[in-house]
Amino acid sequence: MRFLLIIPTVFILVTTVFVLMRATGDPITAALGGKLPPDQLAELIHAAGYDRPIVVQYWEYLTGIFSGDFGTTISDNRPVTEVLTTYGTATLELAFYAVLVALVLGVPFGMVSGYFRDRLPDAVLRILAILAYATPVFFAGLILKLVFSVWLGWFPVAGRVSTDGEIAMQLAGADSGFMLVDAFKTGDPEVVLDVLSHAVLPAVALGLLTAGVFLRLVRTNMIGTLGTGYIDAARSRGVKESRLVRKHAWRPALIPIITVAGMQVAMLLVGAVLTETTFEWRGLGFQLSEYLQARDFVAVQGIVVLMAVVVAVTNFLVDVLAALIDPRVRY
Amino acid sequence: MTMSAIRGSRRLLAGAAGTAALVLVLTACGGGSGDGGSGDGGGSAESLVIGTTDKITSLDPAGSYDNGSFAVMNQIYPFLLNTPYGSPDVEPDIAESAEFTSPTEYTVKLKPGLKWANGNDLTSSDVKFTFDRQLAIADENGPSSLLYNLDSVETPDDTTVVFKLKSENDQIFPQILSSPVGPIVDEDVFSADAVTPDQEIVDGKAFAGQYSITSYKANELISYEAYEGYQGILGEAKTPKIAAKYFTDASNLKLEVQDGSVDVAFRSLSPTDIEDLRGDDAVQVVDGPGGEIRYITFNFNTQPYGEKQPDADPKKATAVRQAVADLIDRQALADQVYKGTYTPLYSFVPDGLTGATEPLKEMYGDGQGGPDADKAKKTLEDAGVTTPVELNLQYSNDHYGPSSGDEYALIKDQLEESGLFKVNLQTTEWVQYSKDRTADVYPAYQLGWFPDYSDADNYLTPFFLKENFLGNHYVNQDVEDMILEQAVTADEAKRTELLGQIQEAEAKDLSTVPYLQGAQVAVTGADVTGAKDTLDASFKFRYAALAKG
Repeated sequence: MRFLLIIPTVFILVTTVFVLMRATGDPITAALGGKLPPDQLAELIHAAGYDRPIVVQYWEYLTGIFSGDFGTTISDNRPVTEVLTTYGTATLELAFYAVLVALVLGVPFGMVSGYFRDRLPDAVLRILAILAYATPVFFAGLILKLVFSVWLGWFPVAGRVSTDGEIAMQLAGADSGFMLVDAFKTGDPEVVLDVLSHAVLPAVALGLLTAGVFLRLVRTNMIGTLGTGYIDAARSRGVKESRLVRKHAWRPALIPIITVAGMQVAMLLVGAVLTETTFEWRGLGFQLSEYLQARDFVAVQGIVVLMAVVVAVTNFLVDVLAALIDPRVRY
Repeated sequence: MTMSAIRGSRRLLAGAAGTAALVLVLTACGGGSGDGGSGDGGGSAESLVIGTTDKITSLDPAGSYDNGSFAVMNQIYPFLLNTPYGSPDVEPDIAESAEFTSPTEYTVKLKPGLKWANGNDLTSSDVKFTFDRQLAIADENGPSSLLYNLDSVETPDDTTVVFKLKSENDQIFPQILSSPVGPIVDEDVFSADAVTPDQEIVDGKAFAGQYSITSYKANELISYEAYEGYQGILGEAKTPKIAAKYFTDASNLKLEVQDGSVDVAFRSLSPTDIEDLRGDDAVQVVDGPGGEIRYITFNFNTQPYGEKQPDADPKKATAVRQAVADLIDRQALADQVYKGTYTPLYSFVPDGLTGATEPLKEMYGDGQGGPDADKAKKTLEDAGVTTPVELNLQYSNDHYGPSSGDEYALIKDQLEESGLFKVNLQTTEWVQYSKDRTADVYPAYQLGWFPDYSDADNYLTPFFLKENFLGNHYVNQDVEDMILEQAVTADEAKRTELLGQIQEAEAKDLSTVPYLQGAQVAVTGADVTGAKDTLDASFKFRYAALAKG
């Protein structure tokens, strides 16, 4: 039943995106209006079929999507599907790193915060958590770049790999789209380190957002778990405090994270647009920003639809995972 | 809390801190490698890294007509005629000779033994194919319109090409052959009737310019290698390998040229970044003449006292335009808004091109290039214009860069400071702007121009003939006759004289008021040479002139 709900969700999302994009006119005029004489513009609009009834265009668009055809971009004449596959991998890679950062920072510090409830470490960590998720991603990115790239010179300013690294990958024929995988394919540890060093700041900038949420969530659940009877019983049996936390309290505290992680995917994708733009991380968010500036609504439509579908499917998967972990959850 | 609890809490705290430390250590391990921060990136003496914010639309000369694409074409394709370093005037490039053999025939003789990088022979057949396909494809994003005077191409033998022209003695045609429509393509690789995809061009090694492309990732990274088979006037490349890296954020480009990851940054750092870099010893800022101009266009029907106004009066209308020319402080605009990346412009033809003069410098303002409110007041009073003149002035907020707002705010101040004008400043987004300006909606408005080829004609013919792209209802038969005459005058001295006369006559009419000329600016590492050689009035940035160490 839960799986079937994805279909109307995606259908509504796709329709909404289509209607919103068409509400401002046809994509050809949006991209090329003012740059071409009216007769040439009309010719292009006619050739692309944007002068036909909107219902016909909508039907063609829907059938195209189901056959994997999202159309062709107007600004650089590329199949949208190619754009999605080429840059989707970069966004996926960044999202993976960001979730990793969020887990590595959010979970342990959440546990500490919960354990030291209302004491100094808790107060400090709560303030940091609020700062982490209240700070706009682009601002965090710019600050990180300023401090760690410009002032300290520890990390690269932008991009996914250095020029030399990219040339090495091209020579090795490594073009999976996942930089880390491609770096390993070159067999050169320098290139691997190069790729990792480029990933650090974007991953931290984007991951901090979710890390703050995780920290607060783990803290709350940790407090709840530490107050339960079985923890008191364990403590009275002389179980060491560290073991109490590591073995008994933290696992139940983690379950809500899985649910929240699903919701965070949408937030990560929104954040990715800003992070990728700040760090010239050429993923879907970066391309979305580029196509928006070029008023290429065919490309924008394709990317937004894909993002919407990813959010819908991820939420479904999270629900399934939550049901598997916690028997009380049923759909 | 028990001792056990205290120990546990310490361990927990230490564990969390350890996690954070581990993250930092791991990330710091990654730091310092690659091109970031270490400052040891960039190329060696054998290679250079060039950074740009340009964008490539297509590598096919029939499918693009923009700076980013043409910048690549200038490195990889041969031209029949080209501009040597330091000159705006064309000479035979891969051609041995090029001349008019009759009023409507322009004959080009190719050098013998020319080859493409893929081993194919480069013959007259390729040349004919190149221009035939431009006309056949006529892509809306391509430059085929520049071949307006080409009737047909004939190839009597493998090294001879005869261009049959529609009108006689077209002195612009040689310049056209060095323009974006001029790169010669390999007929065995390119499609005759469709734009060829970039990857097919790269895979087919269809290159015969100073460089070949060895790897290509559109708008991200291009690797070039010097092509030894190039026999043109530009000579051998000084650096065997070039990597061109494409940025979208100019501030990232600035940081990478500062830390040495990029050796040369060309197009387009912001004026404030360039000003900042001028004070940085780690880099050199190299300036050259630019082809881009900015000007205010007047609509002769709707400007104050214009022909369709209730109080129409040509004399008063001219006085209004002249008073504007008197009051604009070009140096202040160049310094305050563009930090020296633009320079004052006192003519319709920018400085550096053959035939360029500066009639507005003497005719308006203080006679030395500065503004003069008294002179403007006298001009208006003599014509009987009631002051302050109400002027609706439009600019585009999204087409000529983010500084347009500052540019026009300053122009408004300069005009109003005299008390002679009351400016109603308005801005419109480009799509609507383009429609409105030719629909007589704007009495006076901002425009800019980047040349198709490096000849004064390109700054006159499109603007001041009766049928002009401005659509501002300007007509001056004398100017029209002189423009048409210079285009067919083979005698260089006579043509230059005519160009001067056109600029003089136009300076009196002021169909447009030119005020800024863009400079070409490259920022290079301290040990990079050659940028000055290629920042010339050809407006072609050749990587082959650059060297390191």
